[in-house]
Amino acid sequence: MTSRQRNTGIIAFLAAFIIFILPFVFTFFMAVKSRQEAALFLFTWPSEWHFWSNLVEVVQARNYMLLLAYFNSTIITVGAVALLVIFGAMVGYVLQRRPSGWNKLIYAGVLMGLMVPPAVVPTIWVLQGLGLFKTIHGMILIQVAYGLAFSVLLYRSFIATIPRDLDEAAIIDGAKPWAIFFKVILPLLKPVTVTLILVQSIAIFNDFTNPLYYLPGRENVTVQLTLFNFQSQFQSQFNLLFMNILLVTIPPLIVFVIFNRQIVAGMTAGAVKG
Amino acid sequence: MKLIPSAALLSAFIVASGMAQAETTLSVLIDNNPETIAAFDALTAAYTAANPDVTFDIEQRAGGAEGDNLVKTRLATGEMADVFAYNSGSLFQALNPSETLADLSDIQGNVIDSFKPVVTSPDGVVRGIPFGAAMGGGIYYNRKIYEELGLSVPKTWAEFMANNEKIKAAGKVAVAQTYGDTWTSQLFVLADFYNVQSAVPNFAADYTANAIKYATTPAAVQGFQNLEDVFKGGYLNEDFGVAKFDEGMRMVALGEAAHYPMLTFGIGTVKQNYPDNVNDIGFFAQPGTDAAKNGLTVWMPMAAYVPATSPNLEEAKKFLSFVASVEGCNTMIGAIGATGPYLIEGCELPTDVPASVADMLPYFQTEGMTAPALEFLSPIKGPALEQITVEVGSGIRPAAEAAALYDQDVEKQAKQLGLPNW
Repeated sequence: MTSRQRNTGIIAFLAAFIIFILPFVFTFFMAVKSRQEAALFLFTWPSEWHFWSNLVEVVQARNYMLLLAYFNSTIITVGAVALLVIFGAMVGYVLQRRPSGWNKLIYAGVLMGLMVPPAVVPTIWVLQGLGLFKTIHGMILIQVAYGLAFSVLLYRSFIATIPRDLDEAAIIDGAKPWAIFFKVILPLLKPVTVTLILVQSIAIFNDFTNPLYYLPGRENVTVQLTLFNFQSQFQSQFNLLFMNILLVTIPPLIVFVIFNRQIVAGMTAGAVKG
Repeated sequence: MKLIPSAALLSAFIVASGMAQAETTLSVLIDNNPETIAAFDALTAAYTAANPDVTFDIEQRAGGAEGDNLVKTRLATGEMADVFAYNSGSLFQALNPSETLADLSDIQGNVIDSFKPVVTSPDGVVRGIPFGAAMGGGIYYNRKIYEELGLSVPKTWAEFMANNEKIKAAGKVAVAQTYGDTWTSQLFVLADFYNVQSAVPNFAADYTANAIKYATTPAAVQGFQNLEDVFKGGYLNEDFGVAKFDEGMRMVALGEAAHYPMLTFGIGTVKQNYPDNVNDIGFFAQPGTDAAKNGLTVWMPMAAYVPATSPNLEEAKKFLSFVASVEGCNTMIGAIGATGPYLIEGCELPTDVPASVADMLPYFQTEGMTAPALEFLSPIKGPALEQITVEVGSGIRPAAEAAALYDQDVEKQAKQLGLPNW
C-alpha cells in the first residue's frame, strides 16, 4: 500500500463518517437528552441519560400509536413491494419478449406513470367510488400504482440481458408459458429484485405525503405520521421527536443490513442494454 | 301469526334505532399542538360525562402548510370529521366556507361580538365558534435585564430604540431574531397594525378595495422600517439568520437577549422548556410614534367548525355550543391555563397567570387599546411576506422597496380571490 492509497483511504473513511455516521450519532444523543437540554439543539454529550424513559414515553404516546403504526407500515410495505415485484417482472417480461404494435402504446403509458404527477383530490374520488378510501389495501394499491412504472422499466431492461435461448430450451423441454416465467426467468431476476425491494420498501416505508392524504383516520397511522406527535408548528419536544426518528429508522436499517451484500451486484443490474 | 314476527321485528328495529341514537360517536380533527390536544381532551371528557350517549373519536393533523392542504382536501372530498378546529380570518375564507361549512349562527349566545366577523363567510353567515385564547402580537422582554439596566417599558418606537442602544452598550444582545423559521420575521410588520390603524383608521377597508397601498402610506412602511432599524443598529443576535423560534424564546427567557418580537402563545414553549424562568419574561405591545396611542395588535383564536356534509350535524352543534359556553371555557382554562382572554362572555381568567399574560390583559380591559391584525380585517395577505421581511431584516433590501414589492405580491392574491377593483 502506497502512502497515496492510504491517504485516499483515510479521506474516504472520514467523508463517510461525516456524511453517514455523524447525523446518526447526533440523532442518538438528542434522543437520550432531557427536554430542556434537547431544546438547546447542540451536538454535545448528554449530561443525563434518559434513554429508557424517553423510549417508554414515545412508545406509549397517544395510546401506543407507534406500535399500531409499525404494524400498518409493515403491512403496506410488504404488500406493496410483493405486488410490485410480481407485476413489474411480469409486465417487463412480456414487453421485452413479445414485440408487437401495442408496445409503443404501453411504453407511453409507463412513461406517463413516471412523469405525470398524480393529483390528490381526483384520486380520492376514484378511491371513494371503489370503496377503497381509508383502507390499508387501498393504500397498498396506491403505492403499487405509483411505483409500477419504475419497476417495469427496471425489469424490462434487465430481462433483455437474459438470453432468449433459455426460454426456447424450456419450451423444448415442454414447459408452459407460466412455468417458463416462474421457474426459469423469475429466479434469474434475483439481483434486480433485490434492488427493487430495497429501493421501494425504503421509499414506501418512509412515505409521508401519500398516507397523509389517502389514509386518514386515527386507526390508519403510519410510522412517518407518528413524528407529528412530538412536532408541531409552535411547540416541539425534540428529545422525544429524535427518539421517534431513531425508532423509525431501525426497520429500513435492518433491511439494508440483510440485503447489503446483494445490493452492490444489483445496483448495476439493468443499467446497460436498453 | 304473521303479525307477531313482524311486530317483534318492528320493536327490535325501534330498540336498535334507539340504541343507535343513544350512541353517537363524533369524529374530531384537531391540530397537534400539545395545548389544543389537552384542551380538547378535557372538553370531550366533560361533555361525555354530562352526556354519556355521546363519545368522541379524536384525530390529530399536522399544522402549517401540510395541515392547510389536508383540511382543504378532506373538505373537498367530503371526508371531514364532524367537528374540526382551524384558523379563523383569511385562512378560514380560503376554505370556501359558504359551501363547505355548516351554519352555526344559532349557537353564538356567549361569543363576544368582535370574534364573529372573522368566522363569517362572504354570504354573511357565522360559521364558527372561538376555540382557545386570543393572542397578542408584540415584544417579549427580559425583566432581569430591564431591572439591571434600570430601563422602563417603552411607549414609543424612539424609546424602544433608546433602550436597545443602552442594552447594546452594556454588551448584551438587544433584539433576538430567528429567520431560521421564516414566519417569525413578520412580527415587526404584522404587530405594527395597531399603529397603522390609529394613523389611518380606514386602512383595512381601503386596502381591500385597492384604494391604498403599503408603499404610499408612511405609517404602513414603518413596519418594514422597524425591521431595517434594528438590523442597521446592530442589535441582533449573531445567528439571527439561522436561529429558530424555540431559540428565540430561550434567549429572551434566559436573558441571552433583551427583546423578542412574538405572539403571546410563545409562553407555552417557555413553560415547557424553562418552567423556572416563566416569570422573568414580560410583554409589551409594539410601540408606535405616539405615546398616547399605545395599543396592542390582537390575533383571534382558532375556531371550531362543523362541515356541511356531517351526518351528525345536530349532535356536533350541541357539542360546540358547550365549547362556546362559560362552562366550556372554564374547562379549557382548567386544562391549559390562560395565555390570553377566551372571547366568551362571562368567562373570567384565573388570577395566577404568567407575568407576560398579566402584562397583556390591561390592553384588553380598556376600550380601543386593541385592534385585530390585518389578516382578520382583510382577506388579503401576500404569500411572500415572510420572505420579504427576512430580506429587510437581514439588510438585503431597503424598507421602502420592500413595501412596494409586498404590494405587488398582494396583487396576485387579490386577483385569485376575485376581489373588485384589482
